Amino acid sequence: METLVHNLIASGAFGKNASPHLVAAIVVFIMSAVVFLGVAFPFAGIVSWAERRVWARIQSRVGPNRVGPQGFLQWLADGVKHVCKEDIIPDESDAPLFKMAPYLVMLAFTLPWAVMPFSSSLILADLNVGILYMTSVTALTVVGVLMAGWASNDKWSLIGGIRSAAQIVSYEIPAGLSIFPVVLMTGTLSMQGIIRAQGWAPQHWFLFANPFTFVAANILYISALAEGNRTPFDLPEAESELVAGFATEYSGMRYLFFFMAEWGNLFIIGAIIATLFLGGWQFPHIIKSVVAMNILEAITFNVKVLFLVFVSMWIRATLPRVRIDQLMTLCWKYFVPISFVNMIGTAVWVAIWPDGNSLMRYLMLAAAIALAAVFTQRVIYYLRRSRMEVYFNPTI
Amino acid sequence: MSAVSEYVGNIKEAVTSIFEGMAVTASHFMRKPYTVQYPDRMPVRVQDTLPFRYRGILEVDLEICTGCLACERACPIDCIVIVVDKDPLTRQMLLSQFDIDIAKCMYCGLCSEPCPTGSIHHTTEFEGADYSLESLIRRFVKDPVMAYKPKKGPETDPQIAPILNRGMTYLDQWAQPGGEKPPAEEEPA
Amino acid sequence: MSTLHTEEMTLNMGPQHPSTHGVLRFVVRADGEVMREAIPDVGYLHRSIEKIAEKVGYHGFMPYTDRVDYVCAMFTNQGWGMACEKLAGIEVPHRGEYCRVIAAEFNRIASHLLSVGAMAMDIGAVTPFTHAIREREMINDLIEELCGARLTFNYMRIGGVAWDLPPGWREKALAYLDHFDPILEEYNALISWNKIYIERLANVGVITPAEAINYNLVGPNLRACGIKWDIRKDMPYSVYPEFEFDVPIGDGHWGKLGDSMDRYVVRIREMAESSKILRQALQKIPPGPVLAKVARNFKPPAGECQIRLESGRGDMGWYVVSDGTGYPWRVHVRTGSFAAMGIIQKLSAGLMIADLVTLIASLDVIAPEIDR
Repeated sequence: METLVHNLIASGAFGKNASPHLVAAIVVFIMSAVVFLGVAFPFAGIVSWAERRVWARIQSRVGPNRVGPQGFLQWLADGVKHVCKEDIIPDESDAPLFKMAPYLVMLAFTLPWAVMPFSSSLILADLNVGILYMTSVTALTVVGVLMAGWASNDKWSLIGGIRSAAQIVSYEIPAGLSIFPVVLMTGTLSMQGIIRAQGWAPQHWFLFANPFTFVAANILYISALAEGNRTPFDLPEAESELVAGFATEYSGMRYLFFFMAEWGNLFIIGAIIATLFLGGWQFPHIIKSVVAMNILEAITFNVKVLFLVFVSMWIRATLPRVRIDQLMTLCWKYFVPISFVNMIGTAVWVAIWPDGNSLMRYLMLAAAIALAAVFTQRVIYYLRRSRMEVYFNPTI
Repeated sequence: MSAVSEYVGNIKEAVTSIFEGMAVTASHFMRKPYTVQYPDRMPVRVQDTLPFRYRGILEVDLEICTGCLACERACPIDCIVIVVDKDPLTRQMLLSQFDIDIAKCMYCGLCSEPCPTGSIHHTTEFEGADYSLESLIRRFVKDPVMAYKPKKGPETDPQIAPILNRGMTYLDQWAQPGGEKPPAEEEPA
Repeated sequence: MSTLHTEEMTLNMGPQHPSTHGVLRFVVRADGEVMREAIPDVGYLHRSIEKIAEKVGYHGFMPYTDRVDYVCAMFTNQGWGMACEKLAGIEVPHRGEYCRVIAAEFNRIASHLLSVGAMAMDIGAVTPFTHAIREREMINDLIEELCGARLTFNYMRIGGVAWDLPPGWREKALAYLDHFDPILEEYNALISWNKIYIERLANVGVITPAEAINYNLVGPNLRACGIKWDIRKDMPYSVYPEFEFDVPIGDGHWGKLGDSMDRYVVRIREMAESSKILRQALQKIPPGPVLAKVARNFKPPAGECQIRLESGRGDMGWYVVSDGTGYPWRVHVRTGSFAAMGIIQKLSAGLMIADLVTLIASLDVIAPEIDR
């Protein structure tokens, strides 16, 4: 991105007296707008539709399929409906804070897109602290949720907000600790650097590099789910207990902002795992053309991220919610010690095998394939036993 | 040592039970949804898929109503209003009003049970929602009609016979007290 | 340093709430997440059904009994029928009793499915609820063919049942049971043995056997405390002595004896037992009439009678006082949910707010049954 802009300025495309800083700033501004308005927000909307369809198939139902082909425009209809709603601001609430809270949560959702590595050259800003920036900026959600809980002047919202603050802050620790094994193995925090240190083939991904990174990947995924307020950790918005938790008093578009941020966070969670452990956009070099390679790489990245988004939705449909004290127990008594063990184990591993151990890679890959085979066998077992009609078509 | 084994056991149980749960939901992806997409994406009208005994909105076949008032007496909510008088000229029973308030009706079936000809019966119709409350009072008598007199033998009038047949088939579904009727397995549907 | 001033919150878990089963209200005094007390406030669903009986007469009251507990409508129907039959000394034909048992056990499975499904949804898992409702819809389809309605059945009459089994229904019912047994195991694999679920339910709302008896708990709530008391076995009525089935009780396998997990598992096991009873009943059903001859203007002799039967929520008692006319003098229903409301206030001390939802769901409280 940067090199492209500099080359264009140097070749005089913007006139002789163009100030490089101004041009760079305008280009970044336009590209950010394209990414946010063209990718981030539509994704947040579309994933709401996708989540409802995925949930519905798991629950033996159909899901929205009337508004547009296969119900694809349902999210637009929902958005328009929410915009048309009355903007209720409770009388006794703290109005400035009440209004600002959704915007802060939205901010926490939009900022990480600046370092999202879509392909080898499609990245808005390749910061050399990319992954650290991403995890720290997603923690801004805490401020927004706490503000929403407090400013609503509603005891149930307050409980939701406080729960969320405790949850997000606690799960930062295992998430951060689980990033360290990868940093130890690559020596860099930059997103592109981490991706370049992996290969396109599964055995070259960091997921299968050694058992410690495998466990670290799982812990990072679960902690990221917890930070994103997704089930099994959706206590702050526990629908059956607190109606809508911290967002109870919100209506209309403000309410939707909270949920757009939650749905959009799914992509960010997926992107973090895909970058760190699944090889990012890496694709075998089969075509000479840079543009075509970039397109293929972007598709690879998106496929990996969307698969993880799908898994998040699937987990949300399957698992019940944990209680707040169990959440804390899980974090502090299980995840944090295990993350420390991972970190130390990876440090020892990198000291012994600086370039990784290919035997272990293939062993881990074989173990993962075996696990997938066992899973498929269980799925077929349940499918056969239930005697219900089999129907593979996702459209209905 | 038991604390460590409990710790490891917890992790193992969590992983295996969640694995099984995810396998169950994954198998559901491949199953046909149970939803019936009423009312437009169905091969037949839903009213035709409902069983014969379905207790939908009430209907009265006035051609075979005998004016015995058994249904009016049986209704616990008093939603049936019947006015039947002896016509002084023809010495026949004359039905001048037969109103059923389907807003009050609780679809219990107690009225269709004692009907001697099966003229008041439940249909499979259930879509009765309307904008006005008056439309929920179904008035079955437009002009005063003569009440039906059941004949000793089979009904000979070709217009009334099929209606009476249907009414008696409907009544046959109900259990006869004391069991004069053979059990349902031996009867055609 | 002076002590920090803390205050207790008084929250209102109001009549409109996604997870109080029906229209219930709780005034919760909480210290942060941990509750001091949850005071129940009932009466939002009171419809004076017992008074209505005095107006509509014996036959006309049968549809109203459906509304006393609408998820267990067959049992309420059966209770009213049994009470009137005992008053007047009417005997139900053998096949009629079999039809009653078949309908009642199907209703028990449907009621327990709703209970375990709603409990899973309150805990946060949304899928088991839809699966349970799907199974319940299949049972409703069966009962719709039998009596014409899916929720308020009005299937039974004084002296038997109103409709005999339609032709082909037995095969459909047996096919449904063949479908249901593996689905129950799949349901268990999905949620019942899920570690997160067990952690949420174990040791929550522990009721000791002495407490359970003192607070008048019945049904699965009582059996989960280890007390083997089931009206079908201990005070048998109808044709239950002809069937072989077990009465599952709680055993404290996952936590203390009498916690929410025990209540949940007792319900799951009762569904399997009902399936057993249904298979036996559908095989052994004798031919014959299903309805005894009862006068249209039913006038039982003056007196009173009390019957008990095992409904989905436990021991349901019907007490009818007749004064010799065609309208009862007094009808009273004793339901299991009303007693369960009483114990919530005592158990809620020290629970977290999330556990209150678990407790209410595990006691299987149905609001119309509390208030009638």
